[in-house]
This record gives sequence, structure tokens and C-alpha cells, in this order.
Amino acid sequence: MASEGVVSLNVRPEFENPAVEEAVVGDIERRLSLWERISNMDPVRKLSVLLLLIVSWELYTQIGDINELMFPTFSATAKALVSAFVNEGLLQNVWNSLRLLIVGYCIGIGIAAVLVVLGVWTRFGGDLLTTLTAMLNPLPAIALLPLAMLWFGLGEEAIIFTLLHSIIWPVALNTHAGFQAVSETLRMVGRNYGLSGLSYIFKILVPAAFPAILTGLRIGWAFAWRTLIAAELVFGGQVMDTSGGLGAEGSNAGGLGWIIFANQMENQTPYVFAGLFTVIIVGILIENGIFRNIEDRTIRKWGMQKA
Amino acid sequence: MSDKALELYIRPEFESGELGAATDVDVERELSLWEKFSNINAVRKFSILLGLVALWQFYTWYSNVEPLLFPSFFFSLETLWKTILSGEMFEKIGITIYVLLMGYAAGLAFAALFLIFAVSSRIGSDFLSTMTAMFQPLPAISLLPLAMLWFGLGIPALVFVTIHSVLWAVSLSTHVGFMSVSETLRMVGRNYGLKGIPYILKILVPAAFGSILTGLKIGWAFAWRTLIGAELVFGAAAGNGGLGWMIFEKGDNLDTEYVFAALFMVIVIGLLVENVIFRSVEIRTLQKWGMQR
Repeated sequence: MASEGVVSLNVRPEFENPAVEEAVVGDIERRLSLWERISNMDPVRKLSVLLLLIVSWELYTQIGDINELMFPTFSATAKALVSAFVNEGLLQNVWNSLRLLIVGYCIGIGIAAVLVVLGVWTRFGGDLLTTLTAMLNPLPAIALLPLAMLWFGLGEEAIIFTLLHSIIWPVALNTHAGFQAVSETLRMVGRNYGLSGLSYIFKILVPAAFPAILTGLRIGWAFAWRTLIAAELVFGGQVMDTSGGLGAEGSNAGGLGWIIFANQMENQTPYVFAGLFTVIIVGILIENGIFRNIEDRTIRKWGMQKA
Repeated sequence: MSDKALELYIRPEFESGELGAATDVDVERELSLWEKFSNINAVRKFSILLGLVALWQFYTWYSNVEPLLFPSFFFSLETLWKTILSGEMFEKIGITIYVLLMGYAAGLAFAALFLIFAVSSRIGSDFLSTMTAMFQPLPAISLLPLAMLWFGLGIPALVFVTIHSVLWAVSLSTHVGFMSVSETLRMVGRNYGLKGIPYILKILVPAAFGSILTGLKIGWAFAWRTLIGAELVFGAAAGNGGLGWMIFEKGDNLDTEYVFAALFMVIVIGLLVENVIFRSVEIRTLQKWGMQR
């Protein structure tokens, strides 16, 4: 070591361990008891958590003598849910909402695709895309609804316009970021094959950036779903054909958000809860049924995502 | 070797013809002023912004659009300036930010509680994942009718939906982050004898900071959208509403230039939070620690 600097080392005093107790041989191998085996199953535990929540809800509302209008019991909610599905055509409301969502989602993805293609093609397109997304992505789509109602009138066009806005920017932002992160090696492979233009984008950029694209699609769906429900709630019957009223069966029955709103206005709180359950179910179905499936068939199969 | 003969295709050799001598080309050349200028990112983006504004302005001038439907850019800007000077704008922003901060802070506190519970016991973890699976797909704003029923028309109902929009996004992302903390780091923590809260704060939180920050960002985005949406409904409790209420009220009164002014502010606040607050947190933590390039 250098001689100039004096280094002081803290030397720990030595010590001797007192006699260690003799090891007792415990269970080295042992069959798990039935209880342990059952409680090791994930679905069993989660289902019992759910059951426990439901039981405490039921008990709280029954014993606490809560006003049904404020907080209905679980059984009343379940009854309302069943009767809404069977007798009052709740499926029609779900479909009315989903139809708008699908139309908006498809157009939105189309516009986002055009923007992103322009963005990778030319520098001007890239600049335009980044400027627009930076500006419009932080703007909640629902805030545009009053303007949309002014421009497109009270109707589906106004809702679709706001939905477009909630989808285009997250999808375009994520896709563009994903494209930019594609490694130079992959790009060179593409150029080596003589790919250019659209075939370059679809054969090289899209597969390489697929995780980012999927994230964008997911965020876009989440925003669109929230915007749609909010729009139906806030502007009640103004933006959708609800002339059929509650329990109507047809395209004039209004959407899911409107059902929640209208039932609350009529103090049918169990039906409000039933509407919320339906929103949850639709959300879970789309998340786990569609996006999860796409993920399994693409990025997981390609080994781009673990677990 | 098998009895199948291998056939190789051997490309015939050839000699390439004379290459033409390279003609005088610019090997090195100063970029022209225009090229140098247009290579600056900020200049290009700024001119795009200017171009959009000019388009807007000219469109409203020449097509004679009713200002009630689509006011010109300068008219909107003037209105923005007027509302800023009169203090009306800041009053509205103040109300919105107040509710947002309250909801965000309370949401984070709840998320922290749930997460501590989830990290320390298996039943807590099950509880958290069941709750997030159930509530994450539920748009917070759909709870607004219930919140209005339970808490009355006012700030508590807004705070309730904001909490709901933050809580699940943050818990989900953080929980996933905690679960993917590597075993090595966990063992380091256990080696130091860390347990309970110090273990969470000193090992799990720094290791999972990337996903925590993502959760915070998503939570903010949902909260901001939910709050503006909720304010559109009934922000006007006690006679003073926030930005969302301003958009709704002015839109209803056909004061469209005020709607645009409020939208400008919504964008500015969104940009500030995302590019100033979250960005600087990111630079001071993730980038400094080398967890993100």
C-alpha cells in the first residue's frame, strides 16, 4: 500500500462461540396435510377471499340495518343482476356500449396507424406525430365531449369523436416509441432483404415492437372504456339514443353507463350495483379474453415476454 | 454418412468488369445554413406548432365559422389571458388541483397500506390481487353516482372517485414490481437482518422503483381523466367548481372560447406534471441509478 496515507483498519476482536446446541433432526420430509395442500392452490385462496368479501358485505348490510337505497345487500344486488339480464335486456345495453367502442376503436387504430406510418417514413411526419401526441395525450378525452356535442350534435358521432381522441394518442405514442427502440441489427436485416416502405414496417418494425404496440392498444382500450362510460354517465341520455327508456330492448335502450346513471336517478341502487358488476365483467372479459389471448399467441410465443 | 448424395450448388466464378473511376463527390462538405437550422429538433417542432396554429387561425378567418362553434386561436388565447388576469382561471385550477392532490395522496396512502399487508402475508397478497383484478377494470367514474349518494354532492365524492382511480393502478403495478424483485436482492436484505417496513423501504421499493413510477404515472393519468370527467358532472358544489366544471358550464352557455381556454390549461397542467414532475423524479432516481437508459 502507499506509505503516505495512514490506513486504520478496524480489527474485530476474535471470539469463540460457546458450545452450539446439538442439532435436533426435525421433519426433513413430510407429507403436507390436506389443509396445507388445499390452501396452496391459488384459485382456492382467491375464491375464498372473494367469498369472505361477499359474506361480510351481506352481513354488514343485514345486521347494520343499512338503508337499501344507500347500500343494498349482496343478495338484492345479485337478484337485480339476474333480473336485469333476464327480464330487462341488459345484454342489449352492453351491446350498445360495445358497438360504439368497437367502431371507435377500429377507426382510432386506423388513424393511429396512418400517423405512425407517416412518422417513420419522413422526418416531418415524425415531428408532427411527436408534437401532436405530446400535446394531446395529456388532454382527457372526456373534456372534448362538450365541444364534440357542439360540433357533431347530440348523438353517436360526438361519442365516437371523443373515443377516437382517447385511443389515437396512447396507441400512436407507444407504437412510435416502440418503433424507435427497434435495434439497428434488425433494421439492417430488413434492409438487407431489400425491404422498404410498408413491407419494411410490417415485416420488421411491427413484429419487433409488438410488446410496445400491445401496451399501447391496452392503454387505449382502458382509456376508451373509461371515456365511454363517463360520457354515457355525464351526458346521460343526451349522447345516445335512450328513447326506449329503462328496460327497453333495442338500439334505443342506451348504454351501460346510462343504465347506471338512470337507475341511480330512480333510486334503484341494487340495479346501479348490477350495472357496476356488468362493467367489471365486461372489462375482465376483454382484458383476459382478448388481450391475454393475443399476448399468449404473439409475444409470449415469440419469447419476448416471460411468464 | 448416409447414402444420399449431397448436392451443392456452386456458383460459377465471374470477374466483374472495370469499375468506373469515382467522380468528384462531396466527401466532406459544410451543411448549408438551412440544413443546420432544420437539424435542430426544437426548431422543427416549434415550427410545426406554429403551422398548426396558423392553420387554425386561417381556417377560422376564411371559412367564416361561427365563433360560437369554433373560435379563432387568438380569440381563445385572448380569453385565456383575460381569465388569467381576472384570477378566475387560477381559482378553478386551484380547486381542481386541491381535489386531485387530496385524492392522489389518500390513494397512495391506501395503496401503501394494502401493499404492506400484501408483502407481509400470503393472505394479504391474495386479497390485494383479488381486489385489483376486480376494481382495475372498473372505470372509477362509474362509481360517481354511488359516491354522490354516499357522500353528497361535493368535494368528498370527487375525492372518493379520484382515490379509486389511483389506488388500483398504483397497487397493481407496485405489487407486480415487488414480486419480480430478484431473489439475490431479497437475500441481501435478509442478510442485513431487515424485516417488515425497513425491508420494504430499503430493498423492495428501490429495486421495484421502475414499476412503482410507472404505476404512479398511470395512476396520475387515470386520476386526471377521472377528475375532469367527474367535474363535468357536478363540479359546482358550493358555487365554485374546477376546470372540468368550467368546460361544461361554458360549453353549455356556448362560450366556446372559454372552453378552449380551459382546454389549453388542462393540456399545460398535464404537460407540466408529466414532463416536469415525473421526468425530474425519473432523472433523479431511475436514470441516476442506471436502471433506465
